[in-house]
Amino acid sequence: MGKKKWAWAGAVFAALLLLPAVLGEFWVLVLTEIVIMGLFAVSFNMIFGYMGQLSFGHAAYYGVGAYTTGLLMVKAGLPLALCLPFSMIMAGAVALVLGYFCIRLTGIYFAILTMAFGQLIFYIIFQWYSFTGGDNGLQGIRPPAMLDGAWSYYYFALLVVTAAVVVMWIISESPFGYTMRAIRDNPQRTRFVGVNTKKYMLINFVVAAMFAGLAGGLWGPFNRSISPDLCNWHQSGVPVFMTIIGGPTGFLGPLIGSVIYTFLMAFVTGFTEYWPLTIGIIITMVVLFMPGGVWGLVERYGAALPARKEPPADSEREAS
Amino acid sequence: MDLSLLFAQALSGLSRGMMLFLIASGLSLIFGVMNILNFAHATLWLVGAYACYTFWFLLQNHDFAVWLAIPLAALSVALVGWVIEVVLIRRVYERELPEQLLLTYALVLILGDLIKITWGVDDKLITRPAMLSEPVYLAGVPIDSYFIFVIAVGFAVYLALWWFLQKTRYGHIVRAAVFSREMVSALGIPIPIIYTGVFVLGIFIAGLAGAIQGPVGSVTLGMDMAVVIQAFCVVIIGGFGSLPGTMVSSIIVGEVYAFAILFWPGGALALIFILTAIVLIVRPWGLFGTPLRA
Repeated sequence: MGKKKWAWAGAVFAALLLLPAVLGEFWVLVLTEIVIMGLFAVSFNMIFGYMGQLSFGHAAYYGVGAYTTGLLMVKAGLPLALCLPFSMIMAGAVALVLGYFCIRLTGIYFAILTMAFGQLIFYIIFQWYSFTGGDNGLQGIRPPAMLDGAWSYYYFALLVVTAAVVVMWIISESPFGYTMRAIRDNPQRTRFVGVNTKKYMLINFVVAAMFAGLAGGLWGPFNRSISPDLCNWHQSGVPVFMTIIGGPTGFLGPLIGSVIYTFLMAFVTGFTEYWPLTIGIIITMVVLFMPGGVWGLVERYGAALPARKEPPADSEREAS
Repeated sequence: MDLSLLFAQALSGLSRGMMLFLIASGLSLIFGVMNILNFAHATLWLVGAYACYTFWFLLQNHDFAVWLAIPLAALSVALVGWVIEVVLIRRVYERELPEQLLLTYALVLILGDLIKITWGVDDKLITRPAMLSEPVYLAGVPIDSYFIFVIAVGFAVYLALWWFLQKTRYGHIVRAAVFSREMVSALGIPIPIIYTGVFVLGIFIAGLAGAIQGPVGSVTLGMDMAVVIQAFCVVIIGGFGSLPGTMVSSIIVGEVYAFAILFWPGGALALIFILTAIVLIVRPWGLFGTPLRA
């Protein structure tokens, strides 16, 4: 299979590449947010979709990434291109320590432990005034002159995000990716065939956190400032929402979710302050009436088309 | 540091712990029986506080205003809980955990905005009843009398729940449902009714707690956000579905917070998260839970 998937990916990328040419500055900013949050959501789905565990503390790694780049740029004056790898390393290092404990649990306990650790990171950043600026946040994170404009920063973010998403795609289609699916579907059997499931899960957790850190690193220079709220549990809910709306079974699902969520937020907040009410109702509707999200609809619709040759049993799982 | 201050702090911690117990006991009960982790629990608690304000406001010319407002608010919140159960929660009994979590999380957002629409953004102040507005002196130390009231209600609810679960037929059914829903169902007991009942009971206690919280300080938007995470911590530390566990861990969390704030103000909440993480790592089923159900 795959032709169809490539067509999808190609269409999304072409749209992201060409749209800014016809959009005003506001919508280019929204688009930048879409790609950054899309990266965040896709990295979250490495844990949710591929490992089968719900992380409710993924924003912690996003926040660590944002603060690494922010602090290095503001306090050490390092160039952005150098800060981003540091963001990934820092987020990965924190995830290595915390993930070591998290991957020992599953289900609700995994969700709550990731959340407790996430809140811990939040409070450390929130209280550490001398280093992080506490709840005042960190201001004056300016991108380099070359990228100091809505369009140029957008294309820079698009470049980085595309590279990162391609790497995650390769990982998800590699033997490692299929091992993760096996662990998700039947951890016991996977152990029986000799896979060190804990090790695989930890690696996956760390890699997912690194990409979340990269997304966080991109956010600071885009927003010009960062605050501890970036790692609060509300922020952890955002990639969950995006993934549920877009559909966790498709690799691009979270990205589609990011497009819908972020676009909708920009649109709705334009005329009402009741964005939480709006998104709350949307999430309720998706959970009740559209399980599987947009990608789930695409799959169902796609399977109904006679043109599709693959046996349905295969494509069910493969489509992820 | 002199002893009287420590004593006062211990009582304040106990009062805080009892408030957490009132929230966490319903949360734990609902999770234990229905396997649904209700993110919106503390938001309904906040609805209780606002409802208490409204009833108090309507009745404020009477001496008994707060005394009547508290039960009325708790009942109103229970009604809201019943509607939520019948309209929403019932539809996701058979769903996966993430979907159930997301639905209750969506409720947090919806209810949060509905509170804002109904009561506005201004803080609400409820005048305490006369008999609870003066400090009482215990061993010469002035203690906020409202703290004593909160502690008393906490213990009363604990005893009532204990009596209900241990001594009544319905309580036995609920305990059996915590252990094995299939078995209870096989005995011909209609599980959906038990579910609805447990959910409404849990929400009623949350509403009662919120109504009692009302006169403690001002009622503010977003108060629920910090509380819900702490209630999760209490439930985790005590063990899902264990009433004594929830009580003990509420007191632990309340006291840890009260004393941490004396010695290390910035780290009080961090300490609670660390405690929760340690319990989850060492005993994921909590101090008093049983490792039977994952």
